[in-house]
Amino acid sequence: MFAVRKLSLYIDRVNQQWVVQDPDGNFWTVPSDNNAWDQRQPFYPTEETELEPIPAHYKYTLGLPY
Amino acid sequence: MHTEQDRLEEARHNKAPWKKWGPYLSERQWGTVREDYSEGGNAWDYFSHDQARSRAYRWGEDGLAGISDDQQRLCFALALWNGTDPILKERLFGLTNSESNHGEDVKEYYFYLDSTPTHSYMKYLYKYPQAAYPYANLVETSRRRGRTEFEYELLDTGVFDENRYFDVFVEYAKESPEDLLIQISVHNRGPDAAELHVLPTLWFRNDWSWQGNPDRPLLEAVRRSGPGAKPQAAIVKAVHPKLGEYHLACEDEPPLLFTENETNMQRIFGVANRTPYVKDGINHYVVHGDQSAVNPENKGTKVAAHYRLRVEPGECQTIRLRLSKTQAAKPFADFDELLEGRHKQADEFYDTVIPRALSADQGNVMRQALAGMLWSKQFYHYDVDKWLEERGCDPFKANRKQAPRNDHWHHMYNGDVISMPDKWEYPWYAAWDLAFHVIALTLVDADFGKQQLKLMLRERYMHPNGQIPAYEWNFGDVNPPVHAWSTIFTYRLDKAQKGEGDTEWLKGNFQKLLLNFTWWVNRKDRNGRNIFEGGFLGLDNIGVFDRSAPLPTGGYLEQADGTAWMALFSQNMLEIAAELALTDPDYLDMALKFVEHFFWIASSMTHMAGDVGMWDDEDGFFYDVLRLPNGQAQRLKVRSMVGLLPLCAATTFEGALVARYPEIRERLKTFLDARPEIRAAIHDPAKPGVNGRRLASILDETKLRRVLAKMLDENEFLSEFGIRSLSRFHADHPYVFHAGGQDYRVAYLPAESDTGMFGGNSNWRGPIWMPVNALIIRALLQYYSYYGNDFTVECPTGSGQKMNLYQVAEEIARRLANIFLKDKDGRRPVYGGAQKFQEDPHWRDLILFYEYFHGDNGAGLGANHQTGWTGVVARSMHLFATMKPEVALEEGKKAYFETVADQQAGTAPAVPVLAGAGK
Repeated sequence: MFAVRKLSLYIDRVNQQWVVQDPDGNFWTVPSDNNAWDQRQPFYPTEETELEPIPAHYKYTLGLPY
Repeated sequence: MHTEQDRLEEARHNKAPWKKWGPYLSERQWGTVREDYSEGGNAWDYFSHDQARSRAYRWGEDGLAGISDDQQRLCFALALWNGTDPILKERLFGLTNSESNHGEDVKEYYFYLDSTPTHSYMKYLYKYPQAAYPYANLVETSRRRGRTEFEYELLDTGVFDENRYFDVFVEYAKESPEDLLIQISVHNRGPDAAELHVLPTLWFRNDWSWQGNPDRPLLEAVRRSGPGAKPQAAIVKAVHPKLGEYHLACEDEPPLLFTENETNMQRIFGVANRTPYVKDGINHYVVHGDQSAVNPENKGTKVAAHYRLRVEPGECQTIRLRLSKTQAAKPFADFDELLEGRHKQADEFYDTVIPRALSADQGNVMRQALAGMLWSKQFYHYDVDKWLEERGCDPFKANRKQAPRNDHWHHMYNGDVISMPDKWEYPWYAAWDLAFHVIALTLVDADFGKQQLKLMLRERYMHPNGQIPAYEWNFGDVNPPVHAWSTIFTYRLDKAQKGEGDTEWLKGNFQKLLLNFTWWVNRKDRNGRNIFEGGFLGLDNIGVFDRSAPLPTGGYLEQADGTAWMALFSQNMLEIAAELALTDPDYLDMALKFVEHFFWIASSMTHMAGDVGMWDDEDGFFYDVLRLPNGQAQRLKVRSMVGLLPLCAATTFEGALVARYPEIRERLKTFLDARPEIRAAIHDPAKPGVNGRRLASILDETKLRRVLAKMLDENEFLSEFGIRSLSRFHADHPYVFHAGGQDYRVAYLPAESDTGMFGGNSNWRGPIWMPVNALIIRALLQYYSYYGNDFTVECPTGSGQKMNLYQVAEEIARRLANIFLKDKDGRRPVYGGAQKFQEDPHWRDLILFYEYFHGDNGAGLGANHQTGWTGVVARSMHLFATMKPEVALEEGKKAYFETVADQQAGTAPAVPVLAGAGK
């Protein structure tokens, strides 16, 4: 049985940035760019962080690999 | 020169793609289930009208008076700005379900004036106020109003006072399948000169952002060279990797404003945009003067030609454009001649459709009904599996979330042009509505009707278990099974017109309908007694309880309508099987199977071996039966359409099958002789009628007379404008049911609903609904062809006036048509107290086909562009203008189909239509 690789996409409105949760559960911020994934930075949500889910089809606009 | 009939013929044989371009653009893509990715499934709030100008759609596009290709890759529509609105008028505005006191409602005035079935000529009218559109006023005032108050309409705001508005007509004409002429005519109806920005807009549906598609389409300005090229037009070249290349020529070289059909991330999500050119770029340029919002390189995926008109009072100015596969050197040289030619051909086509017996006003109503049907085609795109996956609800992944709806419909891939109920209020297909749409659409295009019926039965639509999808809000809802009826009707019509039946099509549909029939039998007959449930069954609030929810009493309902629908379904399947068996004996057993199944179902409604049945002999009416957990049962004595539907399950048979296979007479006799209780419970199927016909009917003559006495009583069901959905008896005698310390009540309510049940935007407790009236008319004609002229009833009940059942059917049809026709005072009941529509020459001949109608005065209610099933009125007008009762009696049901064929072959004379409509 192969592992399910699933990505979740969010907006952090306070800091006006995209946040990606990779299939391993890690969070990353990415810029609004075609090769956003290459420019990802680790992100550590706190209890105060409000992440707004974004439909998964937007992942293509950021060129995400999942 | 081609005629419209030639074009239909060429399209049928795939010789020319005359239907490739059409009015397939929706009028509302925002607020739909497809675009909803919210956790809770609140589609209206998730993607709002306010977002629509800035947020790219995932599944479809919308616009004003728009067209697209049949895969909606390239779209064209109109945008307007009066200089005072806060935003461009790019799409129709309306209130969401929670904003309005009677559910969602479009707050604009627009009219489908004309269309041929290949869309070789189309005409649309939009009325645009010159003052600022009162967005906030409409929302705030409507929110304050209660369910017992009227809706707050755009006319009520005063924005049309002193006629300060523009009439904007949009006409399309096809020179060839991929060469479209577009003319926009702007009339200033107000007392002062006024400026209008007109922005014909061309754009690609965004099919590149969501799939990592590197093949991005492109729009770009073309510099023209050569003689006669300047200063005639600005040219846009459109290139799509799958669609190919097109050119839009815009007369008089207006500035071209380019942007991208991509989401304004900054506005919608609060994150930076990747490009400064986003979906609302043209809006920002025109309304806010933001020069940086459009691409100075003159390329993108969305473009508008920017015309600025100053229109004097009473003046009309026109704008001409041409969208074509090839780039013409002089695109406007023959424009006027071609446009007028197509308009004339449309008139000639409708001369063969609209019977001469109709008056000019009747012809106008019928033509606009058909225009509405044809304008209501829409490209509908929904890949449910993909949609579920995109919201984290992939049905094949272990860690999936539960989707708010349609979880079990992941097999569905829809990407087709479909007839919509209403492209703003219901911009999604509704399976049972569609079966009625076909009854009207086949007046002009039998091929499209056949294709639509088959589409719903395809593996990409029908559930693997045999259920036909209801609508996107919940594909699993159960709607009445009317596809078999629509199928056999369409087959017979097509057969008469072409001289031979399309048996392959009929066989294909029959196989799939068989799955659907079996689904019903196995899922909705709880105890295997041939008594059916089904829940609300499309009749929303008609019951004392919400019939789709667990009952407050516990237990369950045995539904008179559910069972009657299945009796009719059996009859229709029998008709199909019998037709096929005439040439293929393999279908003989299926015909016999449906004969017997009809007997079982029909008899179950009245014969319950001493138990409580649906027939109430005291009242002479059918009711739902409530079966309680303790074994007790009682009838819920609401006199409603539920109890009239058993009357609709009536079909005559000419005896062709018995003539072909005499041995089945003995098989049927053996079956019935062994079961005298069946024969006693229903109309005796062995008893011959006029011309030896047999009648399959739940109601025997006694029951029929008793139900008709109620149906034709003006104090009960018969209104001046058709048959009501609930008896007026309940105005003074509300039905009240006590359960769990609560009173559940049904009272006659002729206008809007006073509860939020089923969204609160429709009402089956009194108003007149066209589709069920059509079924009643159908049934009366069946009874007439069996009983003949000697069977008469009082109509209206108590009037002393005797009519045979043909005359009764005609009388009901006359009353239904009167909803739309001018009365002796020149007023159209459909418009009630709306003075502008009743009196203004620029309004009074424009017809809106509402969803349902006031039970007492015929005023239009609910969705106001539901030409969909209300368009069936065109069929009933046609039927009684062309049929003769003596022919119906002599020839039976084939009489009408042959009359249609004669008429469309040109052997029947035609009627001139009202030339002034919409001018």
